[in-house]
Amino acid sequence: MRKRKVINRTEWFLIGIIFLYCAMVTLVNPAFLSFETLFDILRSSAVTTIMAAGIMVVIISGGIDVSFTAVALFGAYVTTKILTETSAAWMEHLGIAFLLSIFMGIIWGLLNAVIVHKLKLPAFIITLGTQNLIFGVMTTFIGSKTYGAAAIPKVFSRFASAQLFRIHTASGTIGVSSFVIPVAIVLALTWFIMYKTKMGRSIFALGNSESAAMRIGINPFRVRLFVYAYMGALAGVAGVVYVSQVRSMYPNALVGDELSVIAAAVIGGTKLSGGQGKLLGAFLGVLIVHLLNNTLIFLGLSSSWNDFFIGALMIVSVSVTAYQERLKNRKHFIFTE
Amino acid sequence: MGQELLTVKNLNKSFGGIHALKDINLTIRSNEIHCFAGINGSGKSTFIKCVSGIYEPDQGEIILNGRSYSRLSPQEAIEKGIQVIYQDLSLFSHLTIAENIAINKIMNSKKRLVSQKEIYSVAQTQLEKIGVEMDLNATVQESTMANCQLTAICRALAMDAKLIFMDEPTTALTGKEVKRLLTIVMDLKKKGYAIVFISHKLDEIFDIADKISIFRDGEIVGDFERSELDKKKLSHYMTGREVEYPRYVRTFQDNTPLLQVDRLGQKENYQDISFSVRPGDILGLTGLLGSGRTELGLTLFGLNPHNEGSIFFEGRELRRLTPGLMKSLGIGLLPEDRAAQGLFANRSVKQNLSSVVLERFSRTAGLLDQKEEERIAIEISTDMNVKTSSVDAPVSTLSGGNQQKVVIGKWIASKPKLFIMDAPTVGIDVGSKAEIYDKIQFYASQGMAILLISDEIEEIVLNCNRILVMAQGRQIAMIEEEERLQASQSELEEKIMQLISEENPLPVQTQGGAVV
Ligand SMILES: Nc1ncnc2c1ncn2[C@@H]1O[C@H](COP(=O)(O)OP(=O)(O)OP(=O)(O)O)[C@@H](O)[C@H]1O
Ligand SMILES: [Mg+2]
Repeated sequence: MRKRKVINRTEWFLIGIIFLYCAMVTLVNPAFLSFETLFDILRSSAVTTIMAAGIMVVIISGGIDVSFTAVALFGAYVTTKILTETSAAWMEHLGIAFLLSIFMGIIWGLLNAVIVHKLKLPAFIITLGTQNLIFGVMTTFIGSKTYGAAAIPKVFSRFASAQLFRIHTASGTIGVSSFVIPVAIVLALTWFIMYKTKMGRSIFALGNSESAAMRIGINPFRVRLFVYAYMGALAGVAGVVYVSQVRSMYPNALVGDELSVIAAAVIGGTKLSGGQGKLLGAFLGVLIVHLLNNTLIFLGLSSSWNDFFIGALMIVSVSVTAYQERLKNRKHFIFTE
Repeated sequence: MGQELLTVKNLNKSFGGIHALKDINLTIRSNEIHCFAGINGSGKSTFIKCVSGIYEPDQGEIILNGRSYSRLSPQEAIEKGIQVIYQDLSLFSHLTIAENIAINKIMNSKKRLVSQKEIYSVAQTQLEKIGVEMDLNATVQESTMANCQLTAICRALAMDAKLIFMDEPTTALTGKEVKRLLTIVMDLKKKGYAIVFISHKLDEIFDIADKISIFRDGEIVGDFERSELDKKKLSHYMTGREVEYPRYVRTFQDNTPLLQVDRLGQKENYQDISFSVRPGDILGLTGLLGSGRTELGLTLFGLNPHNEGSIFFEGRELRRLTPGLMKSLGIGLLPEDRAAQGLFANRSVKQNLSSVVLERFSRTAGLLDQKEEERIAIEISTDMNVKTSSVDAPVSTLSGGNQQKVVIGKWIASKPKLFIMDAPTVGIDVGSKAEIYDKIQFYASQGMAILLISDEIEEIVLNCNRILVMAQGRQIAMIEEEERLQASQSELEEKIMQLISEENPLPVQTQGGAVV
């Protein structure tokens, strides 16, 4: 019997690309190869990693969500507003901020799930709708004020500047951002849910075939409630990390980022048609996207090259997966072309 | 007599205009194997889906363990001990074989957590129970039809259900596996389970049945003890007429070979195969699962490159075979795995029928002539006797057997010079089989050459004027026209059976049911 592989081909392919790219950049600019760059990437990719874990779960279940950036923004914005306007000192706590934002995320997620399930319309259209709805609710009913660095609650800036540990290098002392804590928790939790729980099995089953899932007694509505609420919760987490990172809050922040998060998951081998995807792949996908984002300057290229590379990578990665699948099928005399 | 497990009273179910079940009354008891027989589209699968909670009955009562329900949810049905091996298998294609086998058990256990180890042990236990070996880490998508079917069987057996419905569980299996499955079914019966078994292979029914219920047009036209029926009576009740299978004799005059295959070989699958086919020949290719017959058929359609020997078509040697080239030369393939390769499930019957003969009614500039498309679709579906409310209905709403008639019909309509048919009548009822044989023989008498791959020996002997027997990738016998004409049907069947079993001794059964 064949061994079950921990790292599959798509993932090896991504790892290879990361190494190749790093080698190339180092050749051009040796300053690149440093702990500083590594820590920088870990820090700057935190928000995307958290959201990518969530969207991967949604896509595996056979759905899609494009409203999560709006949800993250909503959670972060409303939390910021509450924290700055409250007089209760105990509210000024990072835990409270996360809870508030997660709670709002879950509410929006549940709403997504209910509409997607009851209306039986494509989730893409529905969540595109809720995305606008959420922006609308926020700007009309809650406010559209911009919070500058000075107005942001202190807990956020403290969270952003906190460091897990430091190392001393020739160029000075650098530290690992505390953002890796929420990232690590989210990754571990997502892994646990997807591979160790019944809910995880149901999510995979639903994404493979809704009718077959129902036949073994899985309730698709329950699974959808969970999946979209989970996405909402992670968006809430990402929102708080986001405000802390940029130390300001605009009512239109994060807009348009949803597609690059989905791209990262897809580059990592998550199948848009559902039922298939791996966390490691999605994580590698995010790393690549951010690596390009952060380091093209080392190559002396403008950031507009970023889009070019990401686009090319996505096409290559998806075709490699599809091609391998065809070869595999051929070996077993299954032909779909 | 066992105790009543399930009683159904006045069950009715309609789909739009089709009254699929009419006032069904039926009782299923423990310690009993209850077979359903009936032609394609008579309502067998629909009955199962009503009882297992997939369809909501329009009317009627389902009494389970003494409690009455007007409808069940799939969850309730599973909890009450009902398991189904669905005709369409209903597997999860991106999950592994192990995960597919274990998923029912895991989803219905009290535990919330899942361990990979448990998945493997559940899967391994089931495979050992039915005595087969499979790659547990392969995904369903990359597995053969037979392995998928075995997976679905294992999944249902893993649940320790009280009542197991098996909707045509043997369509993709041959000799050894079928025997093994039937032995297991008998074992389960002794242990007190109730089994409902559906098959169009009447031998299987008579091998295991205690009771036989016959469906016709959504009604049960009779409940019988096995002893009250024989094959002839049964097919009469199913179809309402005498079923007579035609025997083929080649009359076509042209003897120039159309296809010649010379010492063809492909690493793991077959070696040293040589034969030729003339127009009007129906060449039978038979052997057990794994004998290489399917793989050889795929090679001839350009789907599975050979690495030894040569292939000539109309006197020309073919070097780089691709499905596109073979199609343009006039070669057609009816693949073994119809679900994945032959049909667009969500498209209409019409669109499916027209997909192969598109060029025939595409006007200039690639526009389709819709009237002509409709006319051809109606013509083929009437010709093949497809039971559907209209040619605009999606193929997925047809019964399993009727879906297959659509695939066969669409290929025959393209009038290939050489038609490779892999298991053409699997899942087709006894009556429609006669019609399909008629059709095959008619086209052959007009000069179509046919390569008929099948493990139903009766089918091979009836339809083929020449027969090639394969075992473990080798050509072990070629029965030529003269020999076939001189021998009787049963002599030939006997001979082929003998040839195959010599090469593949069946596992010896010991008392514990283990295989040595
Ligand atoms: N979902 C559906 N929508 C519309 N019609 C349906 C649906 N399911 C079944 N039917 C119709 O109900 C009738 C009975 O179908 P069913 O699948 O029960 O037949 P069957 O006896 O299992 O046949 P087979 O031997 O071919 O599997 C058929 O005419 C079929 O077209
Ligand atoms: Mg059926």
